[in-house]
Amino acid sequence: MGQVTSYRFVEHLPDLIGPEEYAEQPSGGLVRFSISVGENGVEVLGDAIRPEVLERILEALGPEEIEQMLCG
Amino acid sequence: MEWTAATLYQTAGDRLACTLCPVRCKLADGQVGACRVRRRTGERLETGTFATTVRHYDAIERKPLYHFRPGSSVLTLAAPGCTFRCDYCINHRISQYGRDDVPWRADAVDPAEVIELAASRGASVGLSYSEPSLAIELTLALAALGAHRGVGVVWKTNGFLTEEALALAGPALAAVNIDIKAADEKRHHELTGAPLAPVLASLRALHARGVWVEASTPLIPGVSASPSDLARIAAVIASVDPGIPWHLLRYTPAYRRSADLPTLPDALAAAARIGHEAGLRYVYVERALGPSGRATRCPGCGDTVVTRDVWALRELRLRDGTCPECGTVVEGRWDK
Repeated sequence: MGQVTSYRFVEHLPDLIGPEEYAEQPSGGLVRFSISVGENGVEVLGDAIRPEVLERILEALGPEEIEQMLCG
Repeated sequence: MEWTAATLYQTAGDRLACTLCPVRCKLADGQVGACRVRRRTGERLETGTFATTVRHYDAIERKPLYHFRPGSSVLTLAAPGCTFRCDYCINHRISQYGRDDVPWRADAVDPAEVIELAASRGASVGLSYSEPSLAIELTLALAALGAHRGVGVVWKTNGFLTEEALALAGPALAAVNIDIKAADEKRHHELTGAPLAPVLASLRALHARGVWVEASTPLIPGVSASPSDLARIAAVIASVDPGIPWHLLRYTPAYRRSADLPTLPDALAAAARIGHEAGLRYVYVERALGPSGRATRCPGCGDTVVTRDVWALRELRLRDGTCPECGTVVEGRWDK
């Protein structure tokens, strides 16, 4: 059984999808990732027009923690 | 979770009636309110919201507040909990505390410490992400201290407050952004679990009390996104004051509304036209229409007087709140 992923709310995360792409994705299916390796291990940065799709993908990777920006 | 003394309640027979939100829960001893963050203990009401999950420094433009201290920052706090149950809420992991098995994750707040932090950066203090009116006791404490340090308190709120709560909160608030999520009672109730009328009453009451007010509407399919619904919402705002800035929010399917389609830029552009046709002087779209969607134009001559990047001020051309070209007053609290 996999570990439970917790969410940590952060001030800022970089965008990987620009506003000019919204019109090209009427169904909102676009998901984009940036994967990097650093001193602390592998970092997967994701952006999606549908947040729940991105969350499902990231959770499937089994991280201890996912960073999320809040709305408002 | 630490329970502290709450305000806004009265005796109702053998019950205590909470008078913070229009649900007006009548609580037996030990009972928790519908909001899940206020409870009765003996003959007093208590709140769990003298606390915060986050301490974020944001641009004031992100709340969004476009006509209030542009280019300044806001130290944002958020205690778990909300009086609404919106099924598209991206912030459901804190807003839906008490429902959905959302855990309590918040630390107690020292208002004096928060005010000093904000003052050291010339920031306001904002309560956002969840429902700030549930943290009215914290708001009052912050405002009392902030008044001596030049630190104002702002809310991003659903506006679901009683008259008693508005009377208490109004003098404590420098600015609010109120969500108007639907054009009619039926769909507002279906979306949020709460009536619309108190929200509109809050818009009017806070504006009348001199609080700087802006409004936001997400374009939710079947709820608020049709031209007729947007026209109704715009007309309501314009009836209060056509100088109230209206923010049109791109809707992204989330939480329990994953079957919807996201808002397209054309729909936001059409919505902005509807806002202007209703007489609103300032209608904004944050990202989808580029810099023109975020710019403030003089209602007198049409000249662009404020330009913005995403969540940031680019240039403020106003002189003492007036257009540098024609002298028309542009409504707002423009002083830093």
